[in-house]
Amino acid sequence: MNFKTILPLLIITSLFLACGPAPSGGGDVVIPEYPPVTAKTIDVGDLDFKIGILTGTVSQGEDEYRGAERVIARYGTENIIHKTYPDNFMTEQETTVTQLMEMARDPEVKAIIIAQAVPGTLPAIKKARRERDDLIFILVAPQEDPEQIAKNADLVLQTDDLMRGKTIIEQAKEMGAKTFVHYTFPRHMSMEILSRRRDIMRDLCKRNGIEFVDANAPDPTGDQGIAGAQKFILEDVPRLITEYGKDTAFFSTNCAMQEPLIRASLDGGAIFVEQCCPSPTHGYPGALGISIDEEIAGDMAKIREQIGKKIAEKGQAGRFGTWKVSMHIVMIEAAVELAKGKVHGKLELTDHAMIKGFLEKCGNVKVELGPFNEHENFLMVISENVPL
Amino acid sequence: MMARAVIRLLSRYAVPILFVVVCTAAITVADMNLSRISTDVLERFFRNLFLVLSLVIPIVAGLGLNFGIVLGAMAGQIGLMTVQNAKVPGLGGISVAVICSIPIAMLLGWLTGLLFNRTRGREMITGIILGFFANGIYQLLFLILAGPVIPYHAKDLLLPQGMGLRVTINLTSVERGLDDVMTIPLRTSAVVQEGTPGAKVQADGSYVKVTRWGEIPMLTLLVNVALCVLIWLLFRTKLGQDLRAVGQDPGVAEVAGIKVNRCRIIAIILSMVLAGIGQIIFLQNMTVMNTFQSHEQVGFYAIAALLVGGATVTRVTIWNAIFGTLLFHALFSIISVAAQNPKLLNSPQIGEYLREFFLYAIIGTTLAIHAWRSRSAARAS
Repeated sequence: MNFKTILPLLIITSLFLACGPAPSGGGDVVIPEYPPVTAKTIDVGDLDFKIGILTGTVSQGEDEYRGAERVIARYGTENIIHKTYPDNFMTEQETTVTQLMEMARDPEVKAIIIAQAVPGTLPAIKKARRERDDLIFILVAPQEDPEQIAKNADLVLQTDDLMRGKTIIEQAKEMGAKTFVHYTFPRHMSMEILSRRRDIMRDLCKRNGIEFVDANAPDPTGDQGIAGAQKFILEDVPRLITEYGKDTAFFSTNCAMQEPLIRASLDGGAIFVEQCCPSPTHGYPGALGISIDEEIAGDMAKIREQIGKKIAEKGQAGRFGTWKVSMHIVMIEAAVELAKGKVHGKLELTDHAMIKGFLEKCGNVKVELGPFNEHENFLMVISENVPL
Repeated sequence: MMARAVIRLLSRYAVPILFVVVCTAAITVADMNLSRISTDVLERFFRNLFLVLSLVIPIVAGLGLNFGIVLGAMAGQIGLMTVQNAKVPGLGGISVAVICSIPIAMLLGWLTGLLFNRTRGREMITGIILGFFANGIYQLLFLILAGPVIPYHAKDLLLPQGMGLRVTINLTSVERGLDDVMTIPLRTSAVVQEGTPGAKVQADGSYVKVTRWGEIPMLTLLVNVALCVLIWLLFRTKLGQDLRAVGQDPGVAEVAGIKVNRCRIIAIILSMVLAGIGQIIFLQNMTVMNTFQSHEQVGFYAIAALLVGGATVTRVTIWNAIFGTLLFHALFSIISVAAQNPKLLNSPQIGEYLREFFLYAIIGTTLAIHAWRSRSAARAS
């Protein structure tokens, strides 16, 4: 067979395939609604066992790490084991498994909280369950397939990205957006929730007369790494502002892109509704050069105030927003309380009123929640957006 | 005289000595639980060994380190997807996955071999880039064509819109299909005093504590031993001798009437097929497949393990693979946990950075020692 004759054919075929129709939502887009839940809390007693917390390092996302530190500050290192998964969690999944198993093999550990539940979590849970069936797993922000996660974990808490598809577009409209740019890449779009949210956003943009731009960015875990993805954002945002005008709201599905996205949006005069993981500490401090010293660390109101000042200096007040607090920090704190309650036999991890109560109590913030795909142990949580 | 002998001994076994010293230091300083380490290392060893062994043949045939095994791993994953789609359980599922993966791996191996023959002398960088390229095609295939074109229909495989695979596939049908056929637990029991945590009272009133040191999956062990024997036998056949001759000097081999290009393609095809099976063994133990990521760094970690075991770009033995896998994963598992021990550093994230620094520093040093030793050996001869 002559390879030289096949090669152009192969290339042309693959080009055709690549240019084919983009994956669409398939069918009608369903805008989610929550069932009403009344918050409730009880006294869950003292922490008389060990809880393991696995988070990323601050280079992957600071909130979860700080959340674990806050819990340690309250309960001490004798009762809380804090470990981190590798920065390259995508390729070093065996290390994530090793770290989790190290906690699971400690008989005093009764509950493990994983935030964020990066790939590697599911195999680790399955391995741990082979050796111990009494362990409680509470996951925050899972990245593996939600159906599988719901079947294997005891409780899953996630910011409701589907509902945010609705709230972000509503907020963008309020901020005056005429165009909405959604940055993502194929790996994220193969995650069910993220791709469904993209469809909701597209649908609502259409209904609200906003132009929706489905923009592609390089995958930070790919060959170009985080630096490549960040460079792309810094270069692409000004291009799109020139094309679509200043009333363009930018959004990205990836944490590492938030900092360059905020900086480029602010410099170009665009709109930024909220981050992929909405929190005052995510992206803003780095993008705006705010140093979070001891005095304001953990004080979300003060951090928001500092961010607001910097944005007002650029004359952009009201065109940038975020949530009041970091939900991931609140979720970790609430997860510790819920684990205590469960181990002491005082509550069930499917009791939505109790979960809502502890989230609101720990974060001192209003929370709405509802089950994901009728999984009573997989809760989608949403909090309030505040313009800065 | 004596001093020189000691130095020679030290330099010959520098790598294992370095590993033993670092691991012992880490275990002592962080006061680690030995039984947990051995459990983890054993598991990692059996799950990775086959992949590392798949690299041996191309090195002997002079193709260097085959970074292209990423493609073989993809073939293995395609086999697993097919089995999960058809829900073939257990050992039968593993066999079907292997059978499905072999023709794909052979095709990919043949194409890779053709490419490597055109980029002779630059096989390694070509292999790395080829891995990135193939990953793009793989994503295209399984994000868009799976469902409408590739006839997968299982709900736990496809996204709800019926197009594209889920990001995580829970390999429920074949999970631990090979490992769990027969496992031998390693346990020791010791008589301890009353009140020791984990101790159980016996009929005669004494307290016995059972320590688990891990388990040996017998069938996985058997498969690996069989592969070692087969590789050993291969190099005693005419084909094996040809591969060796091509590896030593392609020019001389050509003159001697050996079809060099054909031999090189065969070496790559064999490596790809083995990598596919290796990935199936790896994933049946992990029990969960990350559809778009599981294969990406397969080449890098397998190659690092092989190099740590003392192999070079041109010389390798089966023992390099076995010791390399053991040392590499022992280090990985020990440093990972030790560096984050609160007794060592009061910050889990500095521990994580320390782990990365230590791990790759040791691997780097190992490679430097090998380079230095082979250069001084070349000078001596």
